[in-house]
Amino acid sequence: MAMNDERGDGGSSPKDANDANGNAEGEDRTVGGAASAARVRVAEVAKHYEGTEGPIRALEGVSFDVSDGEFVCLVGPSGCGKTTLFRIIAGLESATAGEVFLNDERVEGPTPDMGVVFQEYHLFPWRTVRGNVGFGLEKGGIDGEGGIDGEERRQRVDRLVELVGLEGFGDSYPKELSGGMKQRVAIARALAVDPDLLLMDEPFGAVDAQTREMLQSELLDIWRETGKTVLFVTHDVEEAVKLADRIVVMAKEPGRVREVIDVDLPRPRARSDAAFGRYYERVLGLIRGERGTPDV
Amino acid sequence: MATKTDVDDGIGGYLDGSIAAIDPRRAVLGSVGIAGFLALWWAASLVQPSYVLPSPAAVGETFYAEAASGEMATAIGHSVRHWVPGAAIGTTLGVAAGVGLAWSSVADDVSAPIVRTLRPVPPLALIGFAIAWFGINHAGAAFIIAVGAFWINFYAAYGGVEGVSEDLLDVARSLGVEGDLELLRSVVVPAASPEILTGVRTGIGRCWMLVVASEIFGVPGIGRRILRASNNLQVDVVIAYILVLSLMFLLVDVMFRAAQRRALAWR
Repeated sequence: MAMNDERGDGGSSPKDANDANGNAEGEDRTVGGAASAARVRVAEVAKHYEGTEGPIRALEGVSFDVSDGEFVCLVGPSGCGKTTLFRIIAGLESATAGEVFLNDERVEGPTPDMGVVFQEYHLFPWRTVRGNVGFGLEKGGIDGEGGIDGEERRQRVDRLVELVGLEGFGDSYPKELSGGMKQRVAIARALAVDPDLLLMDEPFGAVDAQTREMLQSELLDIWRETGKTVLFVTHDVEEAVKLADRIVVMAKEPGRVREVIDVDLPRPRARSDAAFGRYYERVLGLIRGERGTPDV
Repeated sequence: MATKTDVDDGIGGYLDGSIAAIDPRRAVLGSVGIAGFLALWWAASLVQPSYVLPSPAAVGETFYAEAASGEMATAIGHSVRHWVPGAAIGTTLGVAAGVGLAWSSVADDVSAPIVRTLRPVPPLALIGFAIAWFGINHAGAAFIIAVGAFWINFYAAYGGVEGVSEDLLDVARSLGVEGDLELLRSVVVPAASPEILTGVRTGIGRCWMLVVASEIFGVPGIGRRILRASNNLQVDVVIAYILVLSLMFLLVDVMFRAAQRRALAWR
């Protein structure tokens, strides 16, 4: 356990990871209002399809937990069922077996308790930036309050547009924005309904490297500021090591959890850091299916 | 000044916008085309008796005379009185049916045989029903026009809704939109609006063509005037009223296109 020697602390259970984010607790939450984060429990989830050459086991016995306020990355090789698992957790697809719980409640379908962010943004092209961000506030979408309107909504939308750094673009249409800006809008839109969990599927996969780095650090800022639980799907190992409290590494055929790794590094994390490199190599080794990789 | 601004924001603004959008090069070439067409027409009219092809000048005179006597305004007034309700009702029902059937697979399956049976029926074939159900009046003519508008809008809206991205629906659901009506209102219809509006525009044009057909059984209007004049070999009157139809179509189309451009500025 070289990692722990370096850091000079004991094991890193989810509880500890949670404490490490304690700085979020004391901060003024400009967006979320009351502290709202979520526990997620994925229990023995399986997904089978009928393929042309017999049944395909896209996911098999996938189980892991995410605790309140934690930042968890889900990484794996392509074809390991990451996106399928993402859609099952989001309630957009049903599992063949197993269950997903959000704060001990079974996920039966899409819910505003989870803010979902996709790789391709999926903004509403007919709405302006403000219109997109405010979308979920226009109906009974938020915490059963029956929606909010008028001045309160405007202020909330303004705060979110500011939070994601898009001041001055409120009245622009998506077609006028770059990929990075679109993804910022999508994040603000997901945060608008004050979800307990931010669920993201390769959100920075479609933007250039520079923008990706900027968005990553902005996402960490937002995470700190709002105290949301984040479950972040990516195929980019560096991204996972950079962002996550814990990394759920998946393997394929069938899609399953290979290992869960606590990333015990202070933020901001630099790629050039030796400890970063060791985590990186270890996760990469797991993804490539190398057995007996040394403990970090 | 306030009034001026108000006008600019209204229909005047649309027209200004579309006129400003005209490319000068295209305008010149278009004028050349019109001049060439008129020259050919004039040359052809020299070697034909006027009951076969009157000269452009003769048509112009007839046009002026019809306009001055008030005949033209009366005919336009009559046609508009069935064109407007026919186009409005046909468009509304067509869009509603197209959206509804594309959205609900049950409704689609139930209605598919009926839709396929009724689709090929030309509006003109329904004149008997128009007379029997509504009589020889504006309502009967509006019925014929509405049928024509219905199908164009039905298929445009149907195609538009079928093409709405499942991903946008997922996003809306994850943001708390529940129920078919809410999804239709907040995602499906706006996402399909480019196709729907193209259908409406095509339908509006088709309705002007159907004005002639809808007046074939005796309802007064531009079409009736054309049919009467044809029977009397008054070709100049026929051409004058064809021009009226074209101008009405052009006027409505330019206005609609400007409104459409504005509504779809997000594209």
